[in-house]
Amino acid sequence: MAEGTLLTDDFLRQIINVGEVDIVVGLSTHNHAKTIGPLTAAIQAGILKCFPRERVAIINADGGSQDGTPELVAKASIDDTWREAKVYALRTLHSISVRYARAPDPGKALQTILAAADLLRAKACVLISPDSTTFEPDWLQRLIRPVYNDNFDLVCPVYTRQRSEGALVRNVLYPMTRSVYGRRIREPYGSEFAVSGRLATDFLGNGISNEDWCRMGPEMSITIMAVTSKYKVCQSFLGIKPHSTRDAHDMVAVMRRTVGALFSSLDSKFSFWSAISGSEAVPSFGTPVQVELEANRVNRKRLLEMFSTGVVQLEGVLRSILSPPMLAELQRIAALDINKFEYPAELWTKTVFEFAASYHNSTINRDHIIQALVPLYRGRSLTFLTENRDGPEQDIQTREESLCADFERLKPYLLEIWADRK
Amino acid sequence: MSLKLEPDWYKHAVIYQVHVRTFSDANGDGIGDFAGLAQRLDYVQNLGVNAIWLMPFFPSPLRDDGYDISDYKSVHPSYGTLDDFKGFLSIAHERGIRVIIEMVLNHTSDQHSWFQESRSSQNNAKRDWYVWSDTDSRYRGTRIIFLDTEMSNWAWDPISKSYYWHRFFSHQPDLNYDNPAVREEMWDVMKFWLELGVDGFRLDAVPYLIEREGTNCENLPETHAIIRDLRKRVDEQFPGVMLLAEANQWPSDLRPYFGNGDEFHMAFHFPLMPRMFMGLRLEDRKPITEILQQTPEIPSSCQWCLFLRNHDELTLEMVTDIERDYMYDIYAHDKAMRLNLGIRRRLAPLLENDRRRIELMNGMLMSLPGTPIIYYGDEIGMGDNIYLGDRNGVRTPMQWSGGWNGGFSTADPESLYSPPILNPVYGYQAVNVLSQKRTPHSLLSWMQHIIATRRSTPVFGSGSIEFLFPANHRVLAYVRQLGKETILVVNNLSSTAQSVELDLRRYKGNILIEMFGRNIFPRIGDLPYLLTMGPYQFFWFRLRQI
Repeated sequence: MAEGTLLTDDFLRQIINVGEVDIVVGLSTHNHAKTIGPLTAAIQAGILKCFPRERVAIINADGGSQDGTPELVAKASIDDTWREAKVYALRTLHSISVRYARAPDPGKALQTILAAADLLRAKACVLISPDSTTFEPDWLQRLIRPVYNDNFDLVCPVYTRQRSEGALVRNVLYPMTRSVYGRRIREPYGSEFAVSGRLATDFLGNGISNEDWCRMGPEMSITIMAVTSKYKVCQSFLGIKPHSTRDAHDMVAVMRRTVGALFSSLDSKFSFWSAISGSEAVPSFGTPVQVELEANRVNRKRLLEMFSTGVVQLEGVLRSILSPPMLAELQRIAALDINKFEYPAELWTKTVFEFAASYHNSTINRDHIIQALVPLYRGRSLTFLTENRDGPEQDIQTREESLCADFERLKPYLLEIWADRK
Repeated sequence: MSLKLEPDWYKHAVIYQVHVRTFSDANGDGIGDFAGLAQRLDYVQNLGVNAIWLMPFFPSPLRDDGYDISDYKSVHPSYGTLDDFKGFLSIAHERGIRVIIEMVLNHTSDQHSWFQESRSSQNNAKRDWYVWSDTDSRYRGTRIIFLDTEMSNWAWDPISKSYYWHRFFSHQPDLNYDNPAVREEMWDVMKFWLELGVDGFRLDAVPYLIEREGTNCENLPETHAIIRDLRKRVDEQFPGVMLLAEANQWPSDLRPYFGNGDEFHMAFHFPLMPRMFMGLRLEDRKPITEILQQTPEIPSSCQWCLFLRNHDELTLEMVTDIERDYMYDIYAHDKAMRLNLGIRRRLAPLLENDRRRIELMNGMLMSLPGTPIIYYGDEIGMGDNIYLGDRNGVRTPMQWSGGWNGGFSTADPESLYSPPILNPVYGYQAVNVLSQKRTPHSLLSWMQHIIATRRSTPVFGSGSIEFLFPANHRVLAYVRQLGKETILVVNNLSSTAQSVELDLRRYKGNILIEMFGRNIFPRIGDLPYLLTMGPYQFFWFRLRQI
């Protein structure tokens, strides 16, 4: 990893002035002026409350904000001249920003933050989503303590979600990662997570960050790397994860960063995951935050329309990806009335596995494979939303667990088609 | 012999704090005395200090190390006679060393004849010399200072069957300063010592002189009126005499004790001291700059008194709870090191005997605005004994040599007032004046050098201070200036090497002359001035336009 290509001289000078720290709080931003002020205030409060003695630096990697986001982040600094009634800081808190590019690049942003953490010799580096509107000062402690006190290398979050939210995680990322890599990490693609200094250094140093799957989805990659390199992984209960409207508008981009990265990782990690069957829990810290479940308000008709249209319009593409029986089954359910529509768990599991195998074998352009998965995911989301429309939390968890069991049970199917699908 | 009248001598002094009992024993009874102290004045002079502050040496039952006085106009027999004191004072003055003595205004010992008379009957003429009450419920808003030992500020006197007020130990009843007779008597006491030739008083526990219902009984206007009256009398009758306030308060609360230059000449800056230790361990200048920025301006004739350690615990009253917890964890991990709200340890053990840190702390002590005080023994890096009670662990015999009793006394070791430090690291065989005098790079030699350098310029005593705020927060940098003389001080608080860029553009064209080695550093230009510093290194630069 050549920091020299990532870090500007000015940023390096700021890093030198910070010196050595215990904790780095990383913020990757782009035009986040609306949310970043309260968020940095909460981060500052978390530092003062939970880590008053530790040397902490907030590192903001900004992707070309035009709304003054870096300046707002810088206000979280506490130096000699800082005055705030009723708040006392034992030591200096640095908050520094760097514009790593003119346009957002999540991979580069993460690399910049981890490179800074590496240079600052941080014991722990926590990444916080700049979109977070529900971030509580205590989250900082819940993410960092396992690294800081218990020598974990990766702390993934566990969020409390509304019944209609987290469809991608609940239907693809969690069950697939669990099945393939054998670890029950609820949020392998967390908006907030913490890594140890050694994991950050390793991530930058061994070239993984330059691999395709890392560039596609850096956050996902860290999780996969930690699991496959036998780092100590745990998860920590945070709180309510707000629905992000940013990502919802560009599902393809989200799929590329998450599912694309996951699929891509399967290539180079085959020897690791092919030997795993079943899954094991990872240590969890804290207790789940309870939330009153609200009825979901999703336009189900629209989802069905996106699914059905996709199956029809992408028939040629899907034919290159899926087996004939699978495609036929999808065409059958695409014709169902909305009240009878169901995308069963087993069918969905096999769909994902066939996409993964096709992705591996590049039966067509890989990006087209990811794009083709999106309408099918809409169909699965419709079933997910229908099933979870009402009923207690327990039922939702039971269905989630059942889906995960299907993914684990059908993993041999994935292995079977892995080399065959040309 | 009196010294030449120098109205602001205290601003340029370096003060050496000594307890007669602990310094040198001339008559071989195991207790230090004035004759012994007088014999050691050559050493004090060679150290380079020009003032001595003596802890209480008056007759006392010694239940609070002499701060419980039973006779204000005499000398405790263990320390010699009044003539011995006069002899010591004369020799000190011959060497250009001024002498500051303690004056415990607030309270006496319960063995003092005044209190004995006062308690003897409710009709006694001295009854109102102390604060009596039929109930222990008055002045409820007043904090208890010695939390470890006292439950209340009132104590029951079984003889006069009433309560008396005491802010410190219950055997130290507070005098009643609402009584004019008390005020006159205490002035008479001060005059007694001033007429003998002492150069100043450290007035102990001044915030507590007056009590008023509904207040916290500290820093009251009536207390200030008493101080102003004393100051007026001193100025009129004994010009050049200095009054030093002992008031463990926040700077803003202390400021009124300077008045308009008509109360105290000097006051201890209590909150700064723990923050210097904190800044060093945090490797962050913030605690130091923060408290100094909160320190109000004082009249030009006044001065702060700075210290690293003294005869008391390292007090943590003037810090926040977070800071106190941090200080305890870092500097007093063993509970035996803690006393009241503080840490009873000497400088060298606090700094883990790290010569670089000891030098840096002394460097800051000597260069920050104020008059520095060196506690006896810290100039050679003496250790402490936390297993002795109260604060006696930092009041052990001065270590003069590696010989019998460390050269302190010829008495049998068992008869010393306190066991000397004996351990292999800090004991007198390892740490003593004699061996350090023979070594040009000893801590003692280094202390002589820095004191001489400090005294080579009036800037440190009287100059202004302006902090530079380099982006590297581990570096504490400030400019001291007086008239045309400018000194730049740069301290690396970190245990690792640091680079720092200083904005010195306003001094463009000046060259920097390092004050200890007199080496020339590059001329200041338009660019930030880059310095690289070793761990705990500090520089004093004289700026010269050549």
